Amino acid sequence: MNKGKIFKLAKGFRGRAKNCIRIARERVEKALQYSYRDRRTKKRDMRSLWIQRINAGTRIHGVNYGNFMHGLMKENIQLNRKVLSELSMHEPHSFKSLVDISRSAFPGNKNVVPAPQKKGLQILV
Amino acid sequence: MSVLSLAASSSSSLLSFSSTCSSSPKPPFSSSAKPALKTPFVGFSVAPPQKLWFPSTTDLSFNNEGNTRRSFEIFSSKTEDFVRVPLDQRWMYEDYEVDGPDIWNNTWYPKAADHVNTDKPWFIVDATDKILGRMASTIAIYIRGKILATYTPSVDMGAFVIVVNAEKVAVSGKKRNQKLYRRHSGRPGGMTVETFDQLQQRIPERIIEHAVRGMLPKGRLGRALFNHLKVYKGPDHPLEAQMPVELPIRDKRIQIQK
Repeated sequence: MNKGKIFKLAKGFRGRAKNCIRIARERVEKALQYSYRDRRTKKRDMRSLWIQRINAGTRIHGVNYGNFMHGLMKENIQLNRKVLSELSMHEPHSFKSLVDISRSAFPGNKNVVPAPQKKGLQILV
Repeated sequence: MSVLSLAASSSSSLLSFSSTCSSSPKPPFSSSAKPALKTPFVGFSVAPPQKLWFPSTTDLSFNNEGNTRRSFEIFSSKTEDFVRVPLDQRWMYEDYEVDGPDIWNNTWYPKAADHVNTDKPWFIVDATDKILGRMASTIAIYIRGKILATYTPSVDMGAFVIVVNAEKVAVSGKKRNQKLYRRHSGRPGGMTVETFDQLQQRIPERIIEHAVRGMLPKGRLGRALFNHLKVYKGPDHPLEAQMPVELPIRDKRIQIQK
């Protein structure tokens, strides 16, 4: 019956949620809601993880993620972030060549206005 | 690999069976005259008919010479050998996929061997005249592992960090006398407040530990990461055997401006 299906889905739950139908029913409903939501957020989380890994990989070579991607876009290299993160982990030399391509296409923000320094009370003296 | 071993066992079993066919309980096949049962392999002594039609054992028997249409061969670059695959599984294989799991289309997740504590690097920071928060931020980044290309948020992949001269850490502005450290024992009226200066006289390591703990994730993993921070009061530390390396700090404003 429905109870059998509920208990089958409630395997591994904590405490009475795996044994007692009233509690298990609530927790299973919640679990299914979470899995619905998380099938959508999983795509976002994976992309965020790839971006963090690419960021770390490029900072080893002195370039940050933003400038790196800008350089790749300029050169019309359409590698996606998943592949770039795998390259940065497993193929470090190929990744370094990509960083060099990006750096030659976009050398970075060289003409940044420096942040205003705090002069303190010495300007009045 | 499994197909190859199956092939070896099946061909040997066929060979052995054909040599002892006279002792089989089935109606005996004579090796010379035409056999009583109609089999496709005329003139050869064969196994009982039902064994013939398993695709994996048929092709690899000594009756079939070369490639037949029952299976096809893929060259595996890893083992430098030909691997036989039955035709009905042909759709599963491309040439390059015979040798192992796909690492390019799945996001890598570390195995246990990728984050053994004994292989992690050790770093050392001298806290003399360094701004507290800026130094703690760099330490937390290294402990969490965010500088590694193999960073994984759910796994402890970071390094160990040793801090020495903890009592000489500096803060800017009037924080030395005005920054408050609070703790509560849980009972009513149990709040204790002390200033940065007082805590530095009492237990200087706690200042840096408090700062770094606030910058690490909170939770089971965060508490485990916090144990990778070792803070010491004077210039010496008992961890010379780990051969710690100087922590590369890129923050330009970390040294206090006197």
